[in-house]
Amino acid sequence: MKATLEVINQMQADGIIGSYAIGGAVGATFYLEPVATLYIDILISFKKTGSLLAMSPIYDYLTARGHRAEKEYIIIENWPVQFLPPANALVEEAMAEAVATQIEDVPARVMTAEHLTAIALQTSRAKDFSRILQFIEGGTLDANRLDQILSRHGLLAKWEEFGHKFLKGNS
Amino acid sequence: MSERMRKILESKREMRQRLAALPFADKVKLLEQLRDRSRTIATSPLKQRSAEQG
Repeated sequence: MKATLEVINQMQADGIIGSYAIGGAVGATFYLEPVATLYIDILISFKKTGSLLAMSPIYDYLTARGHRAEKEYIIIENWPVQFLPPANALVEEAMAEAVATQIEDVPARVMTAEHLTAIALQTSRAKDFSRILQFIEGGTLDANRLDQILSRHGLLAKWEEFGHKFLKGNS
Repeated sequence: MSERMRKILESKREMRQRLAALPFADKVKLLEQLRDRSRTIATSPLKQRSAEQG
């Protein structure tokens, strides 16, 4: 993954993408125990426009350097990477507030645990609920911060519903 | 819940906490091992036969 991030950092330095943040299962692994995943989700901002059309320079840049496109992924140094533009205000905020880290000596940015939780709640697939439960059990969430994010993005009712469904009797 | 089961669950919880506390770079190495195992399982003839049988 170190080599993968080096390619992505170079792509950023070359002006193909703006800022980026790691989300999904790899992002969650920053805070939790590692979980098996085959892909890396990279949320990206574009320097000019957030349009889907702006994805083509990314594919052109990477394929010209020998990286292979496969379905919705591009294989970079043995990791399938999916580049995703922010789909809504929550994801935009998650990107803006991502935390800087390093994998060995390579810089990277990872979404906060609270934003990953809020995005999982918004997405609401079975695996997202499972991830939220891992965050809760791991004790990594700042409750006030999470509450503010959920409130800002209209997710409080959904959070309450999640609690009734999965946490009832466990508190 | 039996005492034996309680100990198993407690041991699993401790293992998860130990893994979560590792440096990110170490966790990434574990992710890569997990990914390689998942790929091996996905391409195993046994897995493919099982998928064909539904």
